Amino acid sequence: MILEMKNISKSFGAVEALKDVSFTVHSKEIHGLLGENGAGKTTLMNILAGTFGPDAGTIEIDGNIVEGMSPKKAAELKIRFIHQELNLCNDLTVFQNMFLGEEYTKQRWKVDKKREMEHAQKVLDSMNSGIDAHTIVCELDTAQKQMVEIARALLFSSELIIMDEPTTALNNREIEKLFSIMQRLKAEGVSFIYISHKMPEIFSICDRFTVLRDGTFIKSGLIKDIDEHQATELLIGKSFVQAHIKDGIAASITEEVVLKARGLTGQSFRNVSFDLHRGEILVCTGLQGSGTDELATSLFGASNLEAGMLERPDGPLAMHDIKAVMKRGIAMVPRNRKERGILPDLSIRNNNSLSFYVAKHKGLFVTMREEKERFDASQKRLGIKVGSDLDAITSLSGGNQQKVILSRWLEIDADVYIMDNPTQGIDVGAKFSIYTLIVELAAQGKGVIVFTSEYPEIHQLADRCLVLYKGSTAAVLSRDEISEAAIMEYSTGTRKEELN
Amino acid sequence: MNGLTLSKKQVRDTWRNITGNYSHWLSFVLLLLVAVIVSPSFLTWNNITNQFVQGTIVGICAMGMSLIISAGMIDLSVGSTVALISGFGVMVLNSTHSIVLAFLFCLGAGILAGLINGLLVTKGRIAPFIVTLATMSAWRSVINQMGQGGPFTVDKDMYAPFRAIAAGRILSIPHLMVFLILITVLTGLIMSKTKFGTYVYAVGSNQQAARLSGINVNRVKTLIFTYAGLLYGLAAFLLASRLTSIQAASAGMGYEMDAIAAVAIGGTSMDGGRGKIIGTFLGVLMLRIINTVLIMANVPPFLNGLVTGVIIIVAVLAQSNKKGK
Repeated sequence: MILEMKNISKSFGAVEALKDVSFTVHSKEIHGLLGENGAGKTTLMNILAGTFGPDAGTIEIDGNIVEGMSPKKAAELKIRFIHQELNLCNDLTVFQNMFLGEEYTKQRWKVDKKREMEHAQKVLDSMNSGIDAHTIVCELDTAQKQMVEIARALLFSSELIIMDEPTTALNNREIEKLFSIMQRLKAEGVSFIYISHKMPEIFSICDRFTVLRDGTFIKSGLIKDIDEHQATELLIGKSFVQAHIKDGIAASITEEVVLKARGLTGQSFRNVSFDLHRGEILVCTGLQGSGTDELATSLFGASNLEAGMLERPDGPLAMHDIKAVMKRGIAMVPRNRKERGILPDLSIRNNNSLSFYVAKHKGLFVTMREEKERFDASQKRLGIKVGSDLDAITSLSGGNQQKVILSRWLEIDADVYIMDNPTQGIDVGAKFSIYTLIVELAAQGKGVIVFTSEYPEIHQLADRCLVLYKGSTAAVLSRDEISEAAIMEYSTGTRKEELN
Repeated sequence: MNGLTLSKKQVRDTWRNITGNYSHWLSFVLLLLVAVIVSPSFLTWNNITNQFVQGTIVGICAMGMSLIISAGMIDLSVGSTVALISGFGVMVLNSTHSIVLAFLFCLGAGILAGLINGLLVTKGRIAPFIVTLATMSAWRSVINQMGQGGPFTVDKDMYAPFRAIAAGRILSIPHLMVFLILITVLTGLIMSKTKFGTYVYAVGSNQQAARLSGINVNRVKTLIFTYAGLLYGLAAFLLASRLTSIQAASAGMGYEMDAIAAVAIGGTSMDGGRGKIIGTFLGVLMLRIINTVLIMANVPPFLNGLVTGVIIIVAVLAQSNKKGK
C-alpha cells in the first residue's frame, strides 16, 4: 500500500493543530513520524484513521482519493491504529477486548467465544507475551496491557499499522520482541507508521522519517542519512538544542533543605527518600506505571501515603489535606491540563485566582479590581497572550492555558514547587518560556521538583535526577551523570544502582 | 465610512453576545411580548404582583437548585422537604403559639435536611441523584405518617397573624414578592461576590482540577446543600403561611421539577460550571408567564405540563448548541 496525505490542515477552535502537512508512506517500510508533544502527530494519525476529518487536504491510497474516511472505512482499507492511550475495557477479558466491535459470530448473532479465544491466544503466543486470553484486563500490568493493544492490531491481516508510542511501558526485552514481530510483518508486506519519542528506537527500527514541528511539515528522508543529533535539531529547532537555559542564570543551590522526604510509600511506589535543597531543581522520571504519577500527587497530599514522612524546615507535614499542604508553602502544577488543570467554564481571571483564594485571600468577599490587578501582574511576568481576561480559558492556546495554570500557583508564592509534566502538549516556544521560568524560580531560592519523561526537559532543567523503576528508586543522578542512555537504562531496569 | 456604521463583525459579535450571554433576557422579553399580545392586561400592577405571589415559593427553592446544578449536582427532594418542614412547622406553631419559633424551626429543619443530603453525597460518596431520590421518598413518607391522611391546619387563634406574613403587602408590594427579590439578591451576591461563589462554579466545571487547586470540594458541596436546605425551610414557612393548611400528601408536589425547569430555562448549564442567578429569577417568571398564557389561551390545563416539558427541552437544546460551536 502507498499512502499519501496531501496538504492536510486541521484546527480545533483557535488552535491550528496542522498547517498544510503532506506525508507519504511507501509499501514495506517502517516510517518514523517524529515530533514533540503537540507537534500534530496524533492529530495527523487520527485523520488517517478517520477519527475526525481534516479541514483541508486529501488522503490517497495507491493513488485513489479516499473520501469521508471513518474508523470503519480505515479498517476496511486494512489500516490499524494502536493508540497511545490504552483503550481497553478493564472489566472484560483479554480476548473480548481484542475482538471488541469485530466479534466472530455463529448463526449470525451468537458470539463465537471459543473461536475468538483460540485466535486471540494464537496471536498472543506468537508474540511470546505469556498472556492468557482468558484473563480479565484489570489484572494485567501496564506493559501487558500494551501488549494486548498490539496483539489486537495483529488479529486481522492489515497493510498499514499505526503505532502511537507503543513502547512507553515496555522494557528492552519486550521492545526487542516487538521489533522482531514488526520486521517479520514488514517482510510479509505490511507498512508501519511508528511514533516514538525515543531516538534509539527510531534509529534501530525505522527506514524513513518525517518530522513535524508545531503543526507544520519540517522534513522527510531516509533514517540512514541523519544521526540522532540532527534528528533532535529537526524535532525541536536548532536554537533550542543549542540553548542552555541554566547557563544564563547563576545556580544558587544552598545546603538548606526545603523539603525532606523519608521512606515514602504509596500504592505504586515504595521507600522513596530525598532532600530537596533551596535553589535546586530535582527531576523525577520513570516509565509509565513506574509510580511517578502517584508520587507527584502524594507529595501534594492529593493521594494518600501509606507510609513515610515529609518534612518542611518548620516541621513535618500532615499529608491528607491539600489546603493544609498549600498553607505550608507547597504548590503543585498538575499533569494533564485538560483533566486536572483548567476549569473550562470559568474565565481566565477566575482560573488564575482559585488557589490564591484558597491559600492567601482573607475574608469572604472578592473584588473584581483586586482580581484583575493580580492577573495583570502575572500576565506581564509570564507573557500570557489573552484577548480579554474575562474570556473563557478554553479560548486560549494550550501553551497560554498552561501559563495561566502556572500563574495560578505563582500567585500563592510557595517555597516548594512540584511541577507534574508542566509542558505536556504545548508548543516549543511556550516550553522554552516555562523552562526559563522554572530555572528563575530556582534561582530565586525556591525548591522545584519536576516530574517528566521527556529527555530534553531533563537535560535542560535537572540539577539532580531521580529515576524510578517499578516503584523503587533506581538511581539518583547528578547533573554530570545525566544522559539519555543512562536514564533509559535505569528506568527500564536494565541497570540498577546500589542504594541503601 | 463613518463612526455610525457598524462593521459586520461588530454586529455579529453583539448578536452573539445577546443570544449567548443574555439569552435568558431575550427569551424573557419574547415571552412577555407574547403574553401582552394574548392579553393586553398582562402588564397591570395587579397581574404582575400576582405572578410573583404565585411564583415566589418555587422561586426560592429554585435559587437553591441553581447552586446545586451549577456545581454539577441535582436535588430531587425539594417538594418532600418543603412538605415535611411546613407540616412540622404548623405543629410547632400550634403548640408554641410563637411565629418566631415556628420560623426558626423551619430554617433549622431546612438546614438539617440540607446537611443530611450534603453529608450523604460527600461522606457517603453516593450520587446526588440517588441520595435525594431516597430523601424525597423518605420525607414524604414521614409527613404522610404524621398527618395520617388529614391536613396540618393552623389553629384559629394564630390564623390571622400567621397568614398575614404571606398575604400581606407593604406599599402595595406583596410580602412574597419582597421575599423572592431579597433571596435573589442575596444568592446573586453570594455567587458573584464571594470566593464561595467561584468555588461552586469551579466544582461544577472540573471537580478534579478544583480539588487540585486546593478547594475542599466536599465542604463546598455540603455547604451548597445546606444553603439550599435553608431556602427550602424558608419556602416551607411561607407555604404554611400562605395556605394555613398543609396536606401531607400533596404539599410541595412537583416543586423539584419546577425548580429544575426554572434553572434550565434560565440558562444554567445542566452539566454544571456556568449559570446566572438572574437567569434563574427570570426562569421562575417565565414559567409563570407560560402558565398564565396557556390559561388565557384556553389551553386545557392538563396540557400545561406538556408545554413546560417541550420548553425545557428547547432551552437545554439551545444551550448544547451554544456549547457545540
